[in-house]
Amino acid sequence: MTKNWWKHLILIVGTIVVLAPFYMMVSYSFKSPGEIDRGEGGFFGRQEMMVDPRCVALRQPNRADIEAARTRFTGQADTEIQAALLAEAEADCSMRPVVFNYSKAFTEAPLILYLLNGVIVTVSIFLIQTLVALPAAYALAKLKFWGREAVFGLVLFCLLIPVHAIALPLYIVLAKFGLTNTYAALIVPWTISVFGIFLMRQFFMTVPDDLIDAARMDGMTEFAIVWRVMLPTAVPALLAFAIFSVVAHWNDYFWPRIVVTGNRELFTPPLGLREFKGDGDGSFFGPMMATATIIVTPLIVAFLLAQRRFIEGITLSGMK
Amino acid sequence: MALIEASHGSKVSQDNHQVRTAWSMTAPALALMFLILLVPIVVAGVLSFSNYSLGNTGFDWVGSQNYERLFSRSTYEKMFIATFTYVVTVVPISVGLGLGAALLVHSLGRVGDIYKTIYFLPVMATLLAMAIAWEFMLHPTIGMVNRTLEIACGTWLETIPFFLQGCEGSFPLWLGDRDYAIWVVCFIGIWQGFGFNMVLFLAGLTSVHRELYNAAEMDGARSGWEQFRLVTWPALGPTTVFVVTISCIRAFQVFDTIEAFWPQGGGPSKSAYVMMFAIFEKGIQQNLIGVGSAITMLFLLFVMFLTLIQRWLIERKVHYG
Repeated sequence: MTKNWWKHLILIVGTIVVLAPFYMMVSYSFKSPGEIDRGEGGFFGRQEMMVDPRCVALRQPNRADIEAARTRFTGQADTEIQAALLAEAEADCSMRPVVFNYSKAFTEAPLILYLLNGVIVTVSIFLIQTLVALPAAYALAKLKFWGREAVFGLVLFCLLIPVHAIALPLYIVLAKFGLTNTYAALIVPWTISVFGIFLMRQFFMTVPDDLIDAARMDGMTEFAIVWRVMLPTAVPALLAFAIFSVVAHWNDYFWPRIVVTGNRELFTPPLGLREFKGDGDGSFFGPMMATATIIVTPLIVAFLLAQRRFIEGITLSGMK
Repeated sequence: MALIEASHGSKVSQDNHQVRTAWSMTAPALALMFLILLVPIVVAGVLSFSNYSLGNTGFDWVGSQNYERLFSRSTYEKMFIATFTYVVTVVPISVGLGLGAALLVHSLGRVGDIYKTIYFLPVMATLLAMAIAWEFMLHPTIGMVNRTLEIACGTWLETIPFFLQGCEGSFPLWLGDRDYAIWVVCFIGIWQGFGFNMVLFLAGLTSVHRELYNAAEMDGARSGWEQFRLVTWPALGPTTVFVVTISCIRAFQVFDTIEAFWPQGGGPSKSAYVMMFAIFEKGIQQNLIGVGSAITMLFLLFVMFLTLIQRWLIERKVHYG
């Protein structure tokens, strides 16, 4: 420790730079607008009661409210009743900044729906990728057929193509079929993962042939072998691939930005956050950072819980 | 004889059966590969010679006009400058920092794991969310960065011209300043990417045999630097090639930060107008599909060229381990 102090010093400086935006994001999600503006309150803010101005504005008492409240405030003048009602509204609209920020995150925009969309899209992408890639990988690894080398060569060639790079022609084709602004548009371009095929093929190569022959003796069809024999042996590789795929698509912003225009029902979490930023006036930093925190948290927590698996999964591409 | 023929026949039919199964297993993957990966490239290639736009019924062939435009207009000159500035800055620095961090973390053993976890966080986090967080950090008046810099005012640090200027006038606008904008984007790219490179290097480091270090020591390589130069660096050869390539490909694809900071126009006086943003703006927002396709084709050319160099390097040269 004493000998290595300089190493720790360098790494700690790095840690500060790496963590600074996370610190700020979470801290702002706790603070009131005033504290954010003035840059005070430490990490958690002072958590003093604050009044939500929009909420009060909505409950501004009108003529009818005053008439209705006359029974409660007997013998008082209209202005007094109005003041009393306003005070009530302010009391009802005051809350801790952290409650304000996080409740606004969910009420200003349908964040639950966005998160749900994120889950639907990432899960469907992964399931379809697996459904397509596993049989192909099995055939390439374990079945002998004319043209196998050519197919594998094609897989290797397609590994060169980043899907984001061909976004424009994909978008044109989808638009021609009238598929923009649908779940299909969000999912279809990712249904083929050549990387998944390549990875699973490499893994299946290591599975002993005896296992497959034994399954054939038992009268299993080749398709049954894929799902009932190969899949269980491939769980670790598949899990790594799942992490790779889910992280990439949960965080993806570019593709959803292109194919989803305006239809909020289909927004994925990053799009929802982007929209929040677009119509935010200065006072909404808090709720926006709360939204950002909510979107970033699931993957970070999962990562902290299963670090080794995550690092394996994300660096899978290192096996290319 | 008949028996042998019969069994031979059944073998053939079994083989035929297997061939048919194999093709039916690869067919969906093949079809999707063609439809989703190969057909779009052909479509982009064809459309890059036209003035097509969505919604129009007809279009004209314009020859190589779109490509000529890419190499003659100042907008696209800025696009190439921004893209290459970004790639040339982010790739070496994020690879260097990744390697440095990996060496330090590796030498610390188990204690180093905590740094590994922390440095990997930006890789996991949604880049768009973190871009917005950085935007607040860099806010000229209420941002954490300028507030931290202001602390230095009145101390000896004011002798540095940068601080003197900042304390007397104001600290940089960062994202609003054309001299800083692209560098800020580069910084965020490095911030986000170096942890990924570090982890790849760490994987490479664990596979270096201990005996190699002992052997090097016997040959007189005692200092840390000598050992690094003679053992670690050559052993990391394949990893380095891979890390550089993947960093390049990722750097070419930078988009989220640019779009988050400057939804219109790609930075102050287009100083951060990178290729992906250009494809998005021209091809999709302005419906100039011919030009967008031409940029797409150039982009693909760059990326494929890089990957081919990588494969060639790995197959040809890097066999030390």
